[in-house]
Amino acid sequence: MKYLDHLEEWIITFLIGAATLIIFVSVMHRYAAGVSIPGVQDWLISLNLSWAQELCIIMFVWMAKFGAAYGVRTGIHVGVDVLINSLSGRIRAKFIVFGLLAGALFTGIIGTLGAHFVWENGAHYAFFSTLGIAVKDMYPGPTTPDLEWPTWIVYSAIPLGSYLMCFRFLQVTRSFIRTGELPHHDHGHVDGIEEGAVSVEVNPYQMDDDLHPRDLKYGKRHPESKVSAGGTAADKGEQK
Amino acid sequence: MSALIIFVLLTFLMLSGMPVSISLGLTVLTFLFAFTNTPLEAVALKLFTGIEKFEIMAIPFFILAGNFLTHGGVAKRMIYFATSMVGHLRGGLGLSSVFACALFAAVSGSSPATVVAIGSILLPAMVRAGYPKKFGVGVIASSGGLGILIPPSIVMVMYAVSTNSSIGALFMAGVVPGLLLALFLGFTTWYVAKKGNYPREQPRSWSERWDSFRKAIWGLLLIVVVMGGIYSGLFTPTEAAAMSAVYAFFIAVFVYKDLGMKDVPRVLLNSANMSAMLLYIITNAVLFSFILTNEQIPQGIADWLTNSGVGVIGFLIAVNILLLVMGSFMEPSSIILITAPILFPIAMKLGIDPIHFGVMITVNMEIGMITPPVGLNLYVASGVAKMGLTDCSKAVWPWLVTMLVFLMVITYVPAVSTWLPKTLGMM
Repeated sequence: MKYLDHLEEWIITFLIGAATLIIFVSVMHRYAAGVSIPGVQDWLISLNLSWAQELCIIMFVWMAKFGAAYGVRTGIHVGVDVLINSLSGRIRAKFIVFGLLAGALFTGIIGTLGAHFVWENGAHYAFFSTLGIAVKDMYPGPTTPDLEWPTWIVYSAIPLGSYLMCFRFLQVTRSFIRTGELPHHDHGHVDGIEEGAVSVEVNPYQMDDDLHPRDLKYGKRHPESKVSAGGTAADKGEQK
Repeated sequence: MSALIIFVLLTFLMLSGMPVSISLGLTVLTFLFAFTNTPLEAVALKLFTGIEKFEIMAIPFFILAGNFLTHGGVAKRMIYFATSMVGHLRGGLGLSSVFACALFAAVSGSSPATVVAIGSILLPAMVRAGYPKKFGVGVIASSGGLGILIPPSIVMVMYAVSTNSSIGALFMAGVVPGLLLALFLGFTTWYVAKKGNYPREQPRSWSERWDSFRKAIWGLLLIVVVMGGIYSGLFTPTEAAAMSAVYAFFIAVFVYKDLGMKDVPRVLLNSANMSAMLLYIITNAVLFSFILTNEQIPQGIADWLTNSGVGVIGFLIAVNILLLVMGSFMEPSSIILITAPILFPIAMKLGIDPIHFGVMITVNMEIGMITPPVGLNLYVASGVAKMGLTDCSKAVWPWLVTMLVFLMVITYVPAVSTWLPKTLGMM
């Protein structure tokens, strides 16, 4: 499990970094090739970087699919939770579980559809031809315009990413039912702010006032979360 | 009829608190499955091809560029520069907050991060200097949103992508309104400060000002890289975004030295996380707008509106009210991605300029950041100031009114938005 977590983080970190570098290099190349330095210019012109844009898009789509799965784990996918936050703990917990399972359902469906699509558009052909099984009526699938990669490899980001995301939703649901905790993403996080000025660790979601959504979703230390974990009515006495 | 089903379904799913992207996707799936014969494989393919546009890739790059410079050290340089320029005026620290927020927000691209970064430094300073805390919270929470309007702005890229408008022209169009809004907010700050007789800072010498400018300029040049690059035609908007990310990396690691090389993977991971979330909403919003178009819903609404005799003025008022209401419940990107495909064709039919319409929507999003119950800036401001959300919402009202006045100006004087891009020949 730890390996999967690290692999996921490593993949998306690499993809965004590499995509930035590729576009940077291709832009530099475009202008550098216009400067006449004997020898170097010919070499630069001989390099063909027209595939950079396509590769960048592919990398970002992969990053988006796996990053979305990672985002479930970090709690970055936000919804409109004003209404359910005004409900009492037990019902709200049910809505949260409903939302998480809906996420799992959706990503599961998309993953399956995507897998089917990938299979029909080349994966089937590729697997069978590698294994030496007859492929005479099968469709070898299209390739991408610049890189000429088979599209089924590129599109396999959909089933892989979606199934991973589905798995993450189920994982979060399980930990929510057991502990009443949901991952929480801090949108206002800034590095390099000195200690002692003002603590940014304060959780605004725990502010004690009417307008504030008293939030189960983000409040890790919130007493209400116990209710969802199978607590009794006695727990409700602790609620604000 | 189908429009009704779609919107009721979407509203129900969204109010149940699930992520916006998931509710969009499930609405589409349910609708396609139950009411049409569209092959479902087309849906899976759309999930990939929906974001297969090079323009959309500007979003991860801009987020990356912003994250490299979202650092307390950069905030300090901006604040130092701002206080040395306007600190000596009445309510100097308040005016400096507006100025510093505008600079930092433009560079970092994140409103909540701006509120935290500027607020955690200037708010204690203001309280120490004898300003009421309420005043400080109001200024910082409201000016933190300026980054949405001043380029590079991710919200504008979202609008441009979902309406096929020019990113460059939109960015250019945001410059004048952005500066004007900063001026408006500054005026309100000055006026409140004058009435309350708040203190001012010691005037700084010109050499000090030059020194602070020199330190702040490296971060601010990011805007020049983006705007200059796009305007001169050196880069496409996405390339400009990638260049600005590399520039921001260079400045953060080698010039400002706020970050070491070992921090870079963490910045990359955070940016990837944020971008993936936005891209996921975009893919699902593309699906959603696909069924909207398929069912000809925007055309239907447009026909109905034109027949009912609602003019441009009435339509714009309705749009403003709709967006302000949605703005108090949802995140800016989701709102734009859901509403733009519906509102844009209507606006075109009524002869409203696409760029002007985009700027107007962006200003609405900015106001949404400080209106309860879901005003992200208010949340983080209340965290930084350790003040209740109700008090924070009360604290921002002078600036909120200012922004509403500003919204009226933007809505009914298109020239404010379109003058600069027109003069520069970008539209």
